[in-house]
Amino acid sequence: MRRLLAIALCLAACCAWGETETVLNKVQLGTDLPTLERGAETVMTVCVGCHSLKYIHFRELAKLGIAKDKVDTWRGSNPMGMSIASQMPPEAAMASFGKTPPDLSLMVKAREGEANYVYSYLLGYYTTPEGATGNHFYPATKMPDILAVAGVTDPAQHAQLEQKAREVTSFLAWAADPRAQERQTLGYYVLGYLLIFTTMLFFLKGRIWAALDKV
Amino acid sequence: MVSRVLGWIDQRFPLTAFIRHELTDYPTPRNLSYWWNFGFLAGFVLVLQLATGIFLAMYYKPDVNLAFDSVQHIMRDVNYGWLLRYIHSTGASAFFVVIYIHMARTLYYASYHKPRELMWWTGQVLMLMIMATAFMGYLLPWGQMSYWGAQVITNLFGVTPFVGDKVVLWLRGDFSVGDATLTRFFALHYLFPFLIFAVVGIHLVALHTVKSSNPSGISLADKDNIPFHPYFTIKDLFGLGVYLIIFCTFVFFIPGTFIEAANNIPANPLVTPAHIEPEWYFLPFYAILRSIPDMLGGVVAMGLSVVIFAILPFADRTNLPGGAHFRPVYRAVFYVFIADVFLLGYVGSQAPTGYLVPLGQFATLIYFATFFLLPFISKWEERWMRARGLPPELTALFQQRQPREKISREREVS
Repeated sequence: MRRLLAIALCLAACCAWGETETVLNKVQLGTDLPTLERGAETVMTVCVGCHSLKYIHFRELAKLGIAKDKVDTWRGSNPMGMSIASQMPPEAAMASFGKTPPDLSLMVKAREGEANYVYSYLLGYYTTPEGATGNHFYPATKMPDILAVAGVTDPAQHAQLEQKAREVTSFLAWAADPRAQERQTLGYYVLGYLLIFTTMLFFLKGRIWAALDKV
Repeated sequence: MVSRVLGWIDQRFPLTAFIRHELTDYPTPRNLSYWWNFGFLAGFVLVLQLATGIFLAMYYKPDVNLAFDSVQHIMRDVNYGWLLRYIHSTGASAFFVVIYIHMARTLYYASYHKPRELMWWTGQVLMLMIMATAFMGYLLPWGQMSYWGAQVITNLFGVTPFVGDKVVLWLRGDFSVGDATLTRFFALHYLFPFLIFAVVGIHLVALHTVKSSNPSGISLADKDNIPFHPYFTIKDLFGLGVYLIIFCTFVFFIPGTFIEAANNIPANPLVTPAHIEPEWYFLPFYAILRSIPDMLGGVVAMGLSVVIFAILPFADRTNLPGGAHFRPVYRAVFYVFIADVFLLGYVGSQAPTGYLVPLGQFATLIYFATFFLLPFISKWEERWMRARGLPPELTALFQQRQPREKISREREVS
């Protein structure tokens, strides 16, 4: 009975926590270099027009493995150690959008739903009956339909845009947590060590306590 | 050589005697279950928080313009800074998991009974200090949730009669949470762990005076006590291994679990987040705060809900030992209470609308009713159990205990 109650409570809690107004689409993030590079290409040539990525320096893009000449094209005359700034001055952004476009370096971590939210949001544009553009996931958004999703009806073309949104999201996920790969690799070693160590402690405990049972 | 050095020290400082008394000869009941591991674990988490915290403080900048960026600097540029920070942020939650389980064990076995009242109360003081430390530490990353959480909680002190506004101003150091608040919270967040360390010392001195409680609830005969070392050092170490496996899974693979999405947005006094929600470990108390319609009443109820545990040694009036182990009614009360805390936690995590409002009020009522009805429940339970005939196991325990008590009473008289 107790157990049943506990399970029921947990289930109720999970259901309640999982609900959002609009169901997000799931995205399978890529961590391979080609995906990240194509994502970076879109971000650096399109998004950076208005947004900054102030916690990412050009040097880190090169360190990630992106070709040097590509990074050089993106940075122009800026030094490698400079962080990625928006190409639009904040005053101009205020004039055109009424707000400064948010920094993107932590965007994937800064929204409920994380990568799924960013992916869904990028693909969430639609044309309203009045002919305006709306977004299912963030109705108050000021950002234009940058991938031009709203009018697309052809499934093949839509799949292409989905691919592009996935690459952008993958790159932004890397930008939000560039040490994720290093962390996971180290994590496997740490857990492996702990498993062996704890197993040994378990048997050692058995041995030490066995002496006690004889008394 | 070693023995000569030890001899030299022992003439000047009771090192060997100390190790004997507290470790190799320290009598520990052999029937302790793994639920008795959590005190040691709490100590371990405290040390880990201190160690990581000191290194984080070498890179962290307590300044409204630099705080958020300095955390990102730690996460991205400092060597293994991400590891330090994730151990520290996960460790805060782990600390509460461990001390809540430690407390639940005490409740289940009614270990707060004579002669362990001071253990229970020093533990209460520790819990309050850890809560204060966690609250102040949560402001330091200077994210949206940090800022607005501190704003809401410090605001609660405004209900203090007559001097409310002054108290809030004094806490914040400014008219709203700002640079002064951040700097003083940082200073106190650095200070408190050392104070906690001192109180842990008092907690341990008390423990080594009254010795560990055990599942049977009575003082065991000498033949049932075994030395702490090596039996419990190895048992605690094995428990630590299991704990670290779980802890490291969070640190290395799902470190974002305990960091709110909104806290990855820098604090902005002009934009209020849609839901302001405290960390999970405050949720049950937060639900109690919100379930009282009057603000002063809510704050009083919340404060009371944290400190009311202190009345337990008096509220539980039974003479039966062993807590829930031997007492079916107390056991039922325990499980209802734990389920109620989870229910409150759930209510606290949701926006207070619809059926959740009366549900929260109902859960609050149950929470306090547990404490206020316990004196009657425990008395009635004992009478009922004695009328029905105590289980043979318990009668045997009682007979074991009586002569010992008589002896000590006779000693006191003579």
